[in-house]
Amino acid sequence: MVALAVVVSVVVLLMAVLVAGLLRSHADILRALHELGVGVGEPGGDRSRDQGPTGVPVTMGPPLPGERSSTSARSVAGVTPDGDALAVSPGGAGHATLLAFLSSGCATCAGFWRSFEQPDRLGLPPGTRLIVITKGPELEVPAEVTGKAHRGLTVIMSTEAWVDYEVPGAPFFVLVDGRSGRRIGEGVANHFPQVVEMVHRAAADADGFTATTTSRPFADGLDGPEREAANDRELLAAGIHPGDPSLYPRSLDDIHGAVTVDRSGGHPGASRPARRAG
Amino acid sequence: MATLRAHGIEAQLPAGFEGRIFTRASSDGAVPYPVAQFASFPLPVQVGDFGGGAVNLLGNSDIFTVLFEYGPESVGRHLFARQGMPRALGSSDFRPYALRRGLPGQSGTQWFFTEGGRPFTLYVVLGSHLGRDALVPKVNQLLARVAVVPAGQSEAPPGPPSDATGGLPWN
Repeated sequence: MVALAVVVSVVVLLMAVLVAGLLRSHADILRALHELGVGVGEPGGDRSRDQGPTGVPVTMGPPLPGERSSTSARSVAGVTPDGDALAVSPGGAGHATLLAFLSSGCATCAGFWRSFEQPDRLGLPPGTRLIVITKGPELEVPAEVTGKAHRGLTVIMSTEAWVDYEVPGAPFFVLVDGRSGRRIGEGVANHFPQVVEMVHRAAADADGFTATTTSRPFADGLDGPEREAANDRELLAAGIHPGDPSLYPRSLDDIHGAVTVDRSGGHPGASRPARRAG
Repeated sequence: MATLRAHGIEAQLPAGFEGRIFTRASSDGAVPYPVAQFASFPLPVQVGDFGGGAVNLLGNSDIFTVLFEYGPESVGRHLFARQGMPRALGSSDFRPYALRRGLPGQSGTQWFFTEGGRPFTLYVVLGSHLGRDALVPKVNQLLARVAVVPAGQSEAPPGPPSDATGGLPWN
C-alpha cells in the first residue's frame, strides 16, 4: 500500500513538471507572437499598442516550378554514370522524346530497367527517343546506375532535371513533343506497356489538336499570360466582349447546351432553348 | 542554359543545343583523351569522334562541332602552334571540301591549336554551305562559351580568352 502511494506520488509529480513545462512553452510562444505584432490579448499592457505592429521580414524566393510554364521542356544536362558530361534538348528535337525518371533503388523501377535492356521491343512510336534520368551523383551511386543501364541506353544523372520537370518521385515519365517543344504527357506507371499506351495516346491527342483545333493558343503550345492573351484575342475576334452573358453561365445547361424539359406538360416547343457558352 | 562540365572542359550551351564531353574506353594501352561534341540537333547515342553517324543527320539549319584533344606529346609541334581556340569564325573559313565526310551541301572548317597547355583540334560542320552566313554566328555563340581547364589544374576553367592570335585554319 505504501509502495503504491509512493508510485502515485511520483507519477503526480512528473505530471506536474510536464504541465509546468508545457505552460512555460506556451507562454514563450505567446510572448514571441506579441513581439511580432500578431499576438492575442495584451499581456504587456498598452505598451505594445503604442508601438504599433512590428514588421515581419518576408523573403521572396525564386519562382517555384509550378509557377513556371507548366508545359515547357527544358534542356537536361548532367553526367553519365561513367563521369562524362551530357546534355539533351528534348524541346529542340524534331521528334518525340520520352524522359524516364528512374532511380537505381526503387523496386518499381527495376522492371523498367529490365524493359530497357531490349530497346527494339519497347513498342514506342518510331523515332521516339528514350532518355533515362536519375538524380545526380550526389544522391545516386553511379556504379549502381551503370549496373542497371543497358549499354545503348542514354542515361543522364541530373538532380536539376528532376526539379525542372517537377518530378514527384520515381518512376515518372514525361513525353515531350519535339515539334512544339512542349510537354504533351506525363505520369506514373507500374509497367512499361502502360507508358507505351500513354505515349501513343498523348501523341495522338497532340496530332489531333494540331490538325483540327482552331485554338491557336493550344496548337502553339502557349502557356501562362501568353495563353490568356491569345484566348482574349480569339474571344474578341468571335464577337465575345467583356460582360458577354455567355461568359457567365448560371447552370450546367448553359455550358453543355442541354435542352430543358418542360415539366408543365405544355408544348415541347415552349421549353427554353439551350444556350451554349461561348 | 545547360552547362556541361567534364574532363577539364566546360561549355554553356545555347538554347536548343545538345552536347557531350567524354573519353573513349582505353584500348591497346592507349591513353584516351577527351572529346567534346555539340550539336543543334539530337545527338545519336553512338557517334564517331568526328561526327560519324551524326553529320548525316544534319538539316540545313544544323551545326555539329567537335573539340578533340590530343596527347601532351603534341604540345609544341608546329601543327598546334596557334595559342587559344578560335572563337570568332568567319563565313569564309568554311569550305565544302574541308569535310571529313563529304556530304552534299554541307560545309566545314578545322583548326588546330593549344589552349592552356592542351593540344586540340576544333572541327565544325554546317548543314548548309549556302546558309553559312546565318549559321556561323551560332557557332561563334557556342565557341564563346567553351572553356578549357589548363593542363595540370583541376579547378573550374577560366573564362574564354579575349584575343586568340596566330595560327591558320587547316583548310
